[in-house]
Amino acid sequence: MNEFAAELHDVSFRYGNSDEGALHHLNLQIRKGECVLLCGASGCGKTTVTRMLNGLIPHYYEGALEGEISVLGRNLRETAVEDLAGAVGSVFQNPRSQFFCVDTTAEIAFGCENMGLPVKEIQKRIRKAVTDMHIEKLQNRSIFNLSGGEKQKIACAGVSAMQPDLIVLDEPVSNLDLDAIDELRDIIAAWKANGKTIVTAEHRLGWLNGLCDRVLLMEDGRIAKEYTGTAFFSLPDAQLNAMGIRSVMQKKIAPEKKTGLFQIAECSSTDVIELDNFIYSYGKETALHSDRLEIPKGAVIAVVGHNGAGKSTLTKCLCGLQKKFRGTVIMDGKRLKPKDMRRCSYMVMQDVNHQLFAETVLEEVMLGADDSAENQALALLEKMQLLAYKDRHPMALSGGQKQRAAIASALLAGKKLLVFDEPTSGLDFRSMECTAELLRTLGRDMTVLIVTHDPELIERCCTHILHIENGRI
Amino acid sequence: MFTADIENRGLVLDPRTKLAVMLTLVVFALGGTGSGIIAVRIGTVVISILPTVLLLTAKQWKKAFLSGLIYAGIKTAEILLIPTLTGAALSVLGLCCMIFVRLMPSLIMGAYMLSSTTVSEFIAAMHRMHIPQQITIPLSVMFRFFPTVLEEFAAINTAMKMRDIRIGGKHAGRFIEYRLVPLMVCSVNIGSELSAAALTRGLGVSVKRTNICKIGFRLQDTAVLFLAGSLYVLWILGMIGVIT
Repeated sequence: MNEFAAELHDVSFRYGNSDEGALHHLNLQIRKGECVLLCGASGCGKTTVTRMLNGLIPHYYEGALEGEISVLGRNLRETAVEDLAGAVGSVFQNPRSQFFCVDTTAEIAFGCENMGLPVKEIQKRIRKAVTDMHIEKLQNRSIFNLSGGEKQKIACAGVSAMQPDLIVLDEPVSNLDLDAIDELRDIIAAWKANGKTIVTAEHRLGWLNGLCDRVLLMEDGRIAKEYTGTAFFSLPDAQLNAMGIRSVMQKKIAPEKKTGLFQIAECSSTDVIELDNFIYSYGKETALHSDRLEIPKGAVIAVVGHNGAGKSTLTKCLCGLQKKFRGTVIMDGKRLKPKDMRRCSYMVMQDVNHQLFAETVLEEVMLGADDSAENQALALLEKMQLLAYKDRHPMALSGGQKQRAAIASALLAGKKLLVFDEPTSGLDFRSMECTAELLRTLGRDMTVLIVTHDPELIERCCTHILHIENGRI
Repeated sequence: MFTADIENRGLVLDPRTKLAVMLTLVVFALGGTGSGIIAVRIGTVVISILPTVLLLTAKQWKKAFLSGLIYAGIKTAEILLIPTLTGAALSVLGLCCMIFVRLMPSLIMGAYMLSSTTVSEFIAAMHRMHIPQQITIPLSVMFRFFPTVLEEFAAINTAMKMRDIRIGGKHAGRFIEYRLVPLMVCSVNIGSELSAAALTRGLGVSVKRTNICKIGFRLQDTAVLFLAGSLYVLWILGMIGVIT
């Protein structure tokens, strides 16, 4: 019996639509029952490795593959992705795009149904997966009514029900809050205790401390260094950051049990945006309630709190997207209506693809402005390091560049309040630092609100923390 | 579509029953089959109201109320006014009848069908009707994809509002282009991720697929099918001259 769950021998891979190789002569052996973490900067090839383990490469993502891959004793070139399904389970990053059914129980059953298992057996497996993960409450629910963390748990339950030997996770926690991460950690710990082989690729590392037997640091499509779990998680932050990796510490970001606005760094503003008797409700349920909130102008404020606490309700109201709030908002001595708020604020969404419309970057930035503003636009693009790309299509930019293009368009349109929704989810250390630097230097006129779970981002650029829980500020 | 809110959907019909109702509506309401026979005409009115009743059981009050009201209003107008009208007024009312009395019931039934059927029920029903997997699976992938595209579209609309790009604004001419390009980019991304996820979970394996979803004909199905079937019977009876 082979002692390895997966073996990659001298593997090189280049995606069909790219000139550069994603992996170069990679050798990797994963023992059965091992828990392996793949980490490294964006583009280092860790996602590519996970795709090889579940067979999506070479069968779904096409490209030039050299070398030999065998997974659970099967040669991957000769095994179709779907035939690996019972043996290899996968959890992906984006909960939006990994669900096939719209109700949770059918979703958990989906994989087993495809394998053609008898109905009784499937029901037994669903019951077991549900009790193992303590998600009895999530049965027979609509997928669209679940939070990100709950969706990720359903995805895990679906994988569990198929009882695979190897489980591959590709950045499973990048959209989750700390509590949801803790629960996912418990699930993975249980898999490990059951002898499953686990491979996970991640940027956020703290939660994996104590779970991983081996950590592989990847660089430019190669394995640069190998650590044991204990050795890796005792490395100092400075050394990790130098390698382009996020901190392994799990930091608490919000003060326990206290809600409200707290200053954490110097901020030289005197003026404030006032919110008085601010109430927003969905039907009869009050989603957000604040007697009085003073947002310092020019501050960079982290908006923190659990999923469903009211963070997005607050930011939507401030951007004038939810009109039916009660209370007053006063900026520069003027009382603002939702329409005025929409004019002076802008939200940079988590998926920035939703807000880039034009054919070229320059046109994109100029959309909301007069033609006479072209010089100003060019200056802004230079500041955002986008000048070289001004004639490119915005959709052809990298993730960070798209984010900067969206910011530039907001700045030129004279927006005074910028809201960011999870700007650093899925970013590696260097990109996160760039974003933080940019947010810090937006200037005194610009007030920035960042909805985030990322303690490192808060530490680097925020002057205040706004903690919301249960709709109370 | 196929976004059935399974937590709250009232009367559950078998997908095949819904399909039969849909077919009957198309034949009699839209196609106007047998409109020379009084009994069939009455039956057509009854089955045209059925989608509204189904919406009521699914607690979609607003839609049900609105569609019921429009149907009742226009149908009454048709019966009372058409014989007395001439010229332009007749054309206008005739057109309204065409749209709201003939076409609308089928559209509402279609909307109800899509909003009350889950993907697994759909696959199970297709399987029972012996439709091959090669047809069922691409169809189910397609239907699963629609709600996601709608979500994306809503997000893009929000972003447009914040950029103040409106109909009648400075960029009115390119209103559609600005909307479609990001929509297509996002849809392609999600579609490809969705297929990858489905493949890793074994969609399309050569073994015969099972389904834990219980579908089958219940009392309510029998009642609805009886109603639909009786229309055909009345029509045949009319055709052979037993009734007029």
